[in-house]
Amino acid sequence: MSDEIRMLTDAVGAIMTDRCQPGDVGAAEAAGWAPRLWDALAEAGFPWIAVDEAVGGTGGSMAEACAMLMTAGTFAAPLPLVETGLLAGWALAAVGSSIPPGPVTAAPSGPDLQLLRDGATWRLTGRLYRVPWASHCARLVTIVGTSDGEFVLALDPARGTITPGRNLAGEPRDTVAFDQLAVGPDEIWPAPAGVSARALLLRGALGRAALMAGALSRVSSLTLRYTSERQQFGRPVARFQAVQQHLVRIAEEATLTEMAVRTAAANSRPDPLDFDVAATKTVAGQAATTVAAAAHEAHGAIGMTREYELGQLTRRLWSWRDEYGSERYWSRQLGQRLIGNGAEQLWPALSVGVQP
Amino acid sequence: MEFELATLSPSERALQDEVRTFLAKTLPSDFRPGLGIAAPHDPSFSTLLAEQGWVGMAIPVEYGGQGRTAVERFVVTEELMAAGAPIGAHYVADRQTAPALLKYGTEQQRRQFLPPIAAGECWFSLGMSEPDAGSDLASVRTTARPADGGWSVTGTKIWTSNAHLNQYFVVLCRTAPLGEDRHAGLSQLIVDLRAPGVKINPIPFLDGSHHFNEVVLDGVFVAHDMVLGEPGSGWGQVTSELSYERSGPDRYLSTMPVVREFVRAFGGDGASARRSAGAEVYEAVGAITARLWAIRQLSLSVARSLDAGAAPAVESALVKDLGTCFEQLSIELMRLAMPSPLGEIGELDPAGDSMLERLLAETVLTGPSFTLRGGTTEILRSVAAKGLGR
Repeated sequence: MSDEIRMLTDAVGAIMTDRCQPGDVGAAEAAGWAPRLWDALAEAGFPWIAVDEAVGGTGGSMAEACAMLMTAGTFAAPLPLVETGLLAGWALAAVGSSIPPGPVTAAPSGPDLQLLRDGATWRLTGRLYRVPWASHCARLVTIVGTSDGEFVLALDPARGTITPGRNLAGEPRDTVAFDQLAVGPDEIWPAPAGVSARALLLRGALGRAALMAGALSRVSSLTLRYTSERQQFGRPVARFQAVQQHLVRIAEEATLTEMAVRTAAANSRPDPLDFDVAATKTVAGQAATTVAAAAHEAHGAIGMTREYELGQLTRRLWSWRDEYGSERYWSRQLGQRLIGNGAEQLWPALSVGVQP
Repeated sequence: MEFELATLSPSERALQDEVRTFLAKTLPSDFRPGLGIAAPHDPSFSTLLAEQGWVGMAIPVEYGGQGRTAVERFVVTEELMAAGAPIGAHYVADRQTAPALLKYGTEQQRRQFLPPIAAGECWFSLGMSEPDAGSDLASVRTTARPADGGWSVTGTKIWTSNAHLNQYFVVLCRTAPLGEDRHAGLSQLIVDLRAPGVKINPIPFLDGSHHFNEVVLDGVFVAHDMVLGEPGSGWGQVTSELSYERSGPDRYLSTMPVVREFVRAFGGDGASARRSAGAEVYEAVGAITARLWAIRQLSLSVARSLDAGAAPAVESALVKDLGTCFEQLSIELMRLAMPSPLGEIGELDPAGDSMLERLLAETVLTGPSFTLRGGTTEILRSVAAKGLGR
């Protein structure tokens, strides 16, 4: 790990340690928002890492953004950090629009979202589903396809109808419905090259995988600690071989996911590659399933309580593995592409690793 | 535990291309790929590879090797494994015996063995397991008694791959009676597999092939100068030797040739054998590739840290476990996604028309060995668990 990344991780970790303890996460799940944590992170500019400084971002690389997100995942940070920077910040910077000061959410276009020209005005109709923290954000960024190509939209979600929802971890995932909404000229831009609903999905998947890598590593250390303290039959349960098998499997999957995220992030210059994201979200999704099951087994009943920290992490892993595409979605995407490229391209594609 | 992100340098990438081109040119187009370290024992291929400087890469130049890095050896090894090249003759000597000789061998032993190993002409087997000593190696009963000018060795070694083809094996045996410390009194001896008193009995492998053997040693004379390392320090040598062999590409690429045939059966460049791919085929290929890609990054990271002088024991164990379990998973993913020519209900035909069918049948039969060789999953995880908290 480079010194810059380590310093960044330490700085983010210090804020999290102060303001994102399990009690804080529990309170945010009840309230839907974590204002103290947001204020400190925003003050330091962390939500806008990898967003161009020219439009008010913090600058920096995808590797730095993912390092921040991994730390956030470690603490189960209940904020739209992926959406504010990696998605909305990126799209707004690409169209040259300055970024709003508060949290911004984002969503890939939904199947029934329609953007139609009505004279000189664009009108938006349809729904966006499972939008993270829509009711807490002043802007919602999405990218919608039309017969004239794709457009970037940045709207106040309150101009639509917001139906609140939650994911398994109590994080807001709202439905936002629009009915013939007239889109203002300062809310819509033709999508520049490289900016598309697909590109937004790729970034979202990588961002979620980074959060997952952090949560997985925290589950690993939590399970190691618990099983070395918890005594049964006169010795720590970590001394039982059957429990050791769980500990090693957990550590392996956490390590594998982190390596995938770091590789994909290093290859994002600045945008992540299809292959890397598909592989990374696949690995992360598989890891979430394996690790959550093994960690709960190793913990026993204490892990099934609302109070103990493990559940805050596993509930997120169970949601995050599906958000921006499950391992099934991404493995199919990857497989289809590789089969299309042919057998002789398979090993060369696999063995690129971190690109020079 | 820490895995640094590793990138191949321009010269390492050039080496990758060079090996790839060599293999494309050298391996016949209709060749049946081998599966990892169980690939065929082919002395002429080993010699040819050595002529390129790709055997004994980690052996210093003064001993006939190339003095290259762990990462350069990684680059060559992964190309060989991915292609299913017939590395069976030299691979164990290259991966395991040569580093042990460099670490523990006498000057004379290095001069005698390392140059022919690097030439791809000197092949070793491993002489660790016994009928009553598998994972519990300290309970070996093969015994060496002092004899005029050396030792007289008696006992039985088992599961000795390619003993009937190789020239030597390194035997772990007891040179002092079993005392309170069961790890004391063990030594490693270099034994000529053609020496008087050595009897090699084939043990047919599950798929009917021959690479396993029982090697019976009946008063075999081993000269003093064939003791590897100090007499009595065999345990420490063997346990460190096991960590060398742990996390390389042979731990996750054994099924790569099958995966390539699987893609070919459906893929854009396999028009003649083309089958229509459904979602389950895409999913299998994607799931296999994703995991393999990430495991490879971990393995490369271990190789890089070895070059930096680290001793990544826990990291190596994790990669070995991840890699070998992945190899087995890949077989099942392909089997279940593979449409049968017979319709919805089909079965594997070991003599099937396509290379894919034949290779898939072979991996089903040999796959269980992936997580046994080099330490079983269970033992490995117990060892790794102790290092995790540190």
